[in-house]
Amino acid sequence: MTFGKTSRPLAVAALALFAAAGVQAQELVVSGSGGVVGETNQKIFKPVFEEETGMTMRNVSAEASRMAELEAMVQAGEAVWDVSEISASDYPIAVSKGLLEPIDYDKLDPEGTLPDIAKKEFGVVAASYSTVLVQRLDQTPEGRKMESWADFWDVETFPGPRSLRARPEYNLEFALLADGVPKEEIYDVLSTEEGLDRAFDKLDEIKPHIPVWWNSGAQSVQLLADNEVYFTTTYNGRVNALQAEGLPVEIVWNGGALHTSHVGIVKGTKNPEGALDYVRLRTMRPELELEYVNVLPYPNFAPGLFDSLDPEVAKTMPTYEANADAQFLANEEFWKDNVDEIRERWDEWMLF
Amino acid sequence: MRHLVQRTWLIWPALFLLVAFFLVPSFDIVRASVMDPDFTTEHFERIFDRKVYMAVFWNTLKLSVIIACLSALIGFPAAYFISQQPRKTQFLLIFLIFIPMWMSILIRSYAWMVMLGRDGVVNTALLGLGLVDEPARMLYTSGAVWIAMLQILLPIQIVTCYSAMTEIDMTVVRAARILGATPAQAMRRVFLPLSLDGTLTGAIIVFMLSMGFFITPALLGGPRDRLLGNLIEFQVERLNWGFAAALGLLLLVGTLVAVVIIRQLGRLLIKRLI
Repeated sequence: MTFGKTSRPLAVAALALFAAAGVQAQELVVSGSGGVVGETNQKIFKPVFEEETGMTMRNVSAEASRMAELEAMVQAGEAVWDVSEISASDYPIAVSKGLLEPIDYDKLDPEGTLPDIAKKEFGVVAASYSTVLVQRLDQTPEGRKMESWADFWDVETFPGPRSLRARPEYNLEFALLADGVPKEEIYDVLSTEEGLDRAFDKLDEIKPHIPVWWNSGAQSVQLLADNEVYFTTTYNGRVNALQAEGLPVEIVWNGGALHTSHVGIVKGTKNPEGALDYVRLRTMRPELELEYVNVLPYPNFAPGLFDSLDPEVAKTMPTYEANADAQFLANEEFWKDNVDEIRERWDEWMLF
Repeated sequence: MRHLVQRTWLIWPALFLLVAFFLVPSFDIVRASVMDPDFTTEHFERIFDRKVYMAVFWNTLKLSVIIACLSALIGFPAAYFISQQPRKTQFLLIFLIFIPMWMSILIRSYAWMVMLGRDGVVNTALLGLGLVDEPARMLYTSGAVWIAMLQILLPIQIVTCYSAMTEIDMTVVRAARILGATPAQAMRRVFLPLSLDGTLTGAIIVFMLSMGFFITPALLGGPRDRLLGNLIEFQVERLNWGFAAALGLLLLVGTLVAVVIIRQLGRLLIKRLI
């Protein structure tokens, strides 16, 4: 074999690679979002993080396969990411599969300034958003507009095509609200067989008026913009964009579902210090968050954020006091435990 | 042994790729569907206990058969037309047919939304021509799924069909004519039998690809247009690998069985035609 001279440069190259890998331990890899959310995130948080810690930060956008990739790297014991955004519905799954490190709040927030709602055992709330009813004001009868889910179900007063998301999550809650269940009792009712029947019976009423069930947030607002439907559920952040385009649309905050999404630290991260620094930066810095929410209405609970926010902008936020009070907190834990069965029933309900 | 190595080494790289990246993972899926983590048949029981899974499977099968048949009916004459052109025109036409294939299926599906929507291109034209009084509902129907899938898959059918046709020795057809066959007879008795095999192959490829579709029906279809792929995607999203694997296996075995049946039926049909 020719292991002599030719292998020496190879060995040097290999050493150089290892050295480079050593340097890269000072790199923080964040599994974030693509699109506007990802861009805004990187524009606002990345430079500050790099300046304050001296580490470099790299954003990976892998929303579609995030959970599968996360599970694979934790199982392989090779954390390629250090921090990951974890959506509202993914959070309980990530926790039950043991994909995240617990958050050490004594280190993250020694002064205890974060409100309890922001603090989860394995993640900190990085953003909040709502699934809300939105209406086209040019398609409602003169002088009237929808104010509740009961109005959405009232096809006499508010005729016209409607849309809902093609999934049971939160639609069942909306149906119960329309049927007169107080929002504090939604999940108690939904946990019983009769309550579930009640929700589906209520959905039977509205089904003929729903020509299309949306599958993505982009689609839901496109339906409104194209006049395919006059009323639909969507994410609150999408509505600001429609209004900016001059479309006469308005959110009905009453009965909306409030969600929180998180940043968590990937189990087995090689850079736990950097990861914690990033989580702190992303969730507890009102001056950075202010810049963020001026672009995207998905606020977190950074202490003092609302004090410095323009009151007009504040009113469009899902966590603005009046808006938050009108909504219910989506129970992702309930959905994690029940979605498999309810989804089967939902699929059957859609098909037959 | 050495002799064997010398004779077969050309196929080794391909064989290695297939075994390592297709066969082994496929076995992994079979394993995942019955080991979760210990041996269990619960995933398969769930498939057969609930109405929804087999109903969606039959939907998927029905839709794929329809798409395959339509693509054969439309693709055959198109491929024939192309194969009868001068060589240079043939290349140009095949090239044109390939262009849409460079675009992702997602984008082509979105394009159909622009075409078929309430305020879309087609409705605007129909309204402008006074053919309809109010926008026709085309988007979010099964018809929209058919049209879009057909448009996406037709190039594959045409190209498969075309390549089979170019291999037909046209002197045979001329010989039939010289021996007194009318053009229609020469077509039906000589050209058609020789080209139907390629058409069948094209239809089978289109059928198999249709079975795995899920983006197009999700974007363009109505509430009933769900394919098995949509249900599998949901299970993967939930990290229910075992059940996702079981559904995947249902899709795989169902597709294979259907392909065997379609081939046999197709062959029988071709024999009857001849």
